[in-house]
Amino acid sequence: MSSDSSSTSGGEFTNPNPSPNSTSKPLEDQFASAALTEPDNEPPEIQESPNGVANGSVGENSHGEIESNEREGAVGSNLEARQSVRWRRTNSEVEVEAPSSPSSSGYAGERGSSSGSGSSGGFDMIGGGIGGGDDEEIQEVSNVDSIQDSQASWMPGKRHVDEAKERGQRGIYYGNIVMIEVGVGNRDGEGFQCSTTISDPVMVVVVLVALVVAVTMVTELVDDASLSWRKRKKHFFILSNSGKPIYSRYGDEHKLAGFSATLQAIISFVENGGDRVKLVRAGNHQVVFLVKGPIYLVCISCTEEPYESLRGQLELIYGQMLLILTKSVNRCFEKNPKFDMTPLLGGTDVVFSSLIHSFSWNPATFLHAYTCLPLAYATRQAAGAILQDVADSGVLFAILMCKHKVISLVGAQKASLHPDDMLLLANFVMSSESFRTSESFSPICLPRYNPMAFLYAYVHYLDVDTYLMLLTTSSDAFYHLKDCRIRIEMVLLRSNVLSEVQRSMLDGGMHVEDLPTDPLPRSGTLSPHLGQPRDSHESLREPFVGIGGPAGLWHFMYRSIFLDQYVSSEFSPPINSPRKQKRLYRAYQNLYASMHDKGIGPHKTQFRRDENYVLLCWVTQDFELYAAFDPLADKAVAIKTCNRVCQWVKDVENEIFLLGASPFSW
Amino acid sequence: MGCSSSLPDRSSGQLAGLNSENGGVSDAKNLRVKLVLLGDSGVGKSCIVLRFVRGQFDPTSKVTVGASFLSQTIALQDSTTVKFEIWDTAGQERYAALAPLYYRGAAVAVVVYDITSPDSFAKAQYWVKELQKHGSPDIVMALVGNKADLNEKREVPVQDGIDYAEKNGMFFIETSAKTADNINQLFEEIAKRLPRPASS
Repeated sequence: MSSDSSSTSGGEFTNPNPSPNSTSKPLEDQFASAALTEPDNEPPEIQESPNGVANGSVGENSHGEIESNEREGAVGSNLEARQSVRWRRTNSEVEVEAPSSPSSSGYAGERGSSSGSGSSGGFDMIGGGIGGGDDEEIQEVSNVDSIQDSQASWMPGKRHVDEAKERGQRGIYYGNIVMIEVGVGNRDGEGFQCSTTISDPVMVVVVLVALVVAVTMVTELVDDASLSWRKRKKHFFILSNSGKPIYSRYGDEHKLAGFSATLQAIISFVENGGDRVKLVRAGNHQVVFLVKGPIYLVCISCTEEPYESLRGQLELIYGQMLLILTKSVNRCFEKNPKFDMTPLLGGTDVVFSSLIHSFSWNPATFLHAYTCLPLAYATRQAAGAILQDVADSGVLFAILMCKHKVISLVGAQKASLHPDDMLLLANFVMSSESFRTSESFSPICLPRYNPMAFLYAYVHYLDVDTYLMLLTTSSDAFYHLKDCRIRIEMVLLRSNVLSEVQRSMLDGGMHVEDLPTDPLPRSGTLSPHLGQPRDSHESLREPFVGIGGPAGLWHFMYRSIFLDQYVSSEFSPPINSPRKQKRLYRAYQNLYASMHDKGIGPHKTQFRRDENYVLLCWVTQDFELYAAFDPLADKAVAIKTCNRVCQWVKDVENEIFLLGASPFSW
Repeated sequence: MGCSSSLPDRSSGQLAGLNSENGGVSDAKNLRVKLVLLGDSGVGKSCIVLRFVRGQFDPTSKVTVGASFLSQTIALQDSTTVKFEIWDTAGQERYAALAPLYYRGAAVAVVVYDITSPDSFAKAQYWVKELQKHGSPDIVMALVGNKADLNEKREVPVQDGIDYAEKNGMFFIETSAKTADNINQLFEEIAKRLPRPASS
């Protein structure tokens, strides 16, 4: 999604008066009041300092020597000695920074417009937690690409320090946070930036050199055999802290040993200084790092997803690994730092690739909530009752699912299941074909429940899409669980739950076209739209007129905060191709990240318009609503429509949510 | 495997394992036995079971997770029936420490290797030793060289299998789950070798 839409109309609104019972206060009112205060609520982080040296006093830097030299192309003495860092500025490109604001923008959408002049995409967010205090100094140590002049063509293979110098470096010393931008401008003058926490400018030089090499490897690449490898838009790697490859999304991880070693060198080097590298930006590539004890996870992406999203994805990948092995795998590294973990993950490639694929279609991966299959209240109750029965007999969790949607689930007393664990478990079961062949009994770990211990999962498919998972702590409970399953299956068949499930799968969920114009008379049934078979919408190609729901509503997602569940409308034209759906999810993901940026504070509402959509987000204590409209949609009408969506969800919550599930008491 | 500490401790006293409630034997005419398949990943354990139980063969490899449970009953000529309760274990290294959970109390262990892979033959020997140390003392063991249809790619000579089986008091057979060759024979032979409960 393009983030630098200049037509972000309305900017951001804050609800000055969040009402605890938010549905009682229509969204219009919030917008109305927000609009009045809009000028004051201009995000503080968009402060442009003409040359980036806003508050910094150059002379006070005790570590490095800063030379400001306007002459272009003078590169010879950069990075000369380890003790002195000389930086040259070759132009006065506007630097945008948020001086001393711990709440700097993490929101790509803002960034785009505020740093529109920066050809290299503006500065990214700063690593969390260590944000600059008031006494931080900001110094610009800037030197922008002189490369185009000094060296016309990039020659792979000659990557050493001199070249790094010639490519030019630009960085900002930000208290103990350093943001570096290095022009490796071989192709289109793109630079790279790094957000890390490095306290010593001398080290910056060293890291810079390593980063130049690494980013070159990332963009230039490494596995010479495979051109296709480097064309991939999004790579994920897992490696050990000794640099041993563990997993690579593309290509043979063993062939990437050199590459892994380089990543390891960067991470370890920065770690040795007591710092952490979190993000490197190289043009439109982002390299995101996540360190989990002896395990390093790295994502290299040019998808323009926000840092928080990519980091969340790495967390999920790590969680998936724990689900298979538990955290006790760390002990292998304690015993033998050079331990090769790949055999332990044998045969699980498909689990990871399926998880990574879900990052682009399953909103649960960033909403941290699960979704239910729409079912009549009584049907879900019937399923829940028999599961509860079983849970009382010593089963820790009993979960009945249809694909990635929950039919019902029950936990033993006080046991609660995190939505992320459910996502990872469902992904594991659905991607492992062998579960479909016969009943299975297999150790799994729920990382959010207990990352150190295995549970035992009895898994059985009741039909093609519907499967039952019974989790227990006891390794010899198989025959008991098998008996439980037979009982459950009998009850489900007798009470027609399975056929209702099949029907719901065919009918789909909420369709925006069916958004009721007036609040439903509390009939509380989905049948007005669920009964209708979906017609083929292929003929409706015209993108902007008269399709989707009322007022140009194209899609929505509603996440209930208490229930940890979300409901998402079915895709309708014009969001009818997988590519468009993925783009919309990416847009939602951006929206989610911006709404949850801890630095900015709780945003209540947000209205954005770009060439693709109008996006509207509304966050209250009870729920979050994300809605996409036709880009020409009228704002006031869109807001009204969102209120209707909320009302609609409330009206049918009995059917779309699992209510009163006892374990969900947090 | 190093990360086994959270796995069931094989030296612990709880030997219940995955025995069926009644210890496996019903009566003299109708035997019920627990059978476990062990072997390296990719040797075709699941394929053997699916061929035996469902008469199917699926060439696309589906990695087994944990262990799958299937059962199949066969009738012998002496009009007894044997119901095999089969634990098809995953061959992956991470499940190795978990194997006792499945072979504990098993009356039959079928150790499978791939005749085109010497590594898998070595792994089979590892499992035999493991069973001799930790399995039931009167366990019936079969050594199975699978993928016999790939004879042109054979790397483990038949004689090696025969010799090793003989030395360890095992029953030996080469099978092909793909062509169904010797699959039923394998299970019939096992059934014949089962100790019969004294019919009184």
